[in-house]
Amino acid sequence: MEVSKNSFKTLSEPVKQFGGLVGIIILIFLTFFVLNNIFGEGDELVAKMKIEEERIAQERKLNKLISSLPSGVLVSFDGTDNFKLSDELYEAVCKATKLIPQRAIMGANFLNFRAHEIYTINGNKIDETFVKWDDEKNKCFAGFVVSGNNVGVDETIKVSGEALSFLSTGIDTRVYFIKNF
Amino acid sequence: MKKLIFFILFSSLITSLASARSTGCKEGNCDNGYGKWVYTDKTTYEGEWVATKKHGQGTETWPNGYIYKGQFKESQWNGIGILFFPDGSTYEGEWANGFMNGEGTFTWSDGKQKKGIWKNGSFQE
Repeated sequence: MEVSKNSFKTLSEPVKQFGGLVGIIILIFLTFFVLNNIFGEGDELVAKMKIEEERIAQERKLNKLISSLPSGVLVSFDGTDNFKLSDELYEAVCKATKLIPQRAIMGANFLNFRAHEIYTINGNKIDETFVKWDDEKNKCFAGFVVSGNNVGVDETIKVSGEALSFLSTGIDTRVYFIKNF
Repeated sequence: MKKLIFFILFSSLITSLASARSTGCKEGNCDNGYGKWVYTDKTTYEGEWVATKKHGQGTETWPNGYIYKGQFKESQWNGIGILFFPDGSTYEGEWANGFMNGEGTFTWSDGKQKKGIWKNGSFQE
């Protein structure tokens, strides 16, 4: 021990300083290694960040596409004067759409009287709406859930169908026609 | 700051006035007679009115493409009428309380048909 102390003293000043620097760097690495093991999520966190970055990039791309669409009714079928969506645009608009306005809901309710009743009783309240792209069928599906007490019975009804037309407001897109028949 | 508040209030006033001017009874007599009413969501009704209610023959056009042509009673689709769905499908027949009720024919946009008795929008097998 005494010998090693003496040999350390005999070292030149720059070598001592370099040794100290290396020591501090190792200490910093060790500290971060320990902290990362205790608090960090490592690869899992990086994976989450990548997914979030991809989601944001996808959303920006969709928003850019939405703003490039003409304002008005967009349809996925022939036989109208409205803007006809290509297959690619139909999928993109479906994925970007979140809202379902009242008239689309009222239209879908024509073929579902019980849903209409609950919707009316509840003062046009909707529990949940959804717009989903089905990769297998290559179609856009949209719908809504109504629930409430109808003549003493608690009911929850899900109405869904193919979303065949959309309304582009220039800021967002909305499902305009749900074909549930 | 004052200018900004004034601008916002002024814009709101103009928007409200413009909106009010574009809705309501736009043509004819919407109390008793024949008139055209435009709703705030751009739905329109053109037809006969009795005591400020849609009553008689008329056409209601929804902004999302549904069009009903036929008889109304107390503002509801009631009697004989035809509903055009946005994709070209149609229902022609009897209506009661705003729903397909009675004898009618549903025709899909591809030409397929279902004819028979309907109750509250459902086909009775």
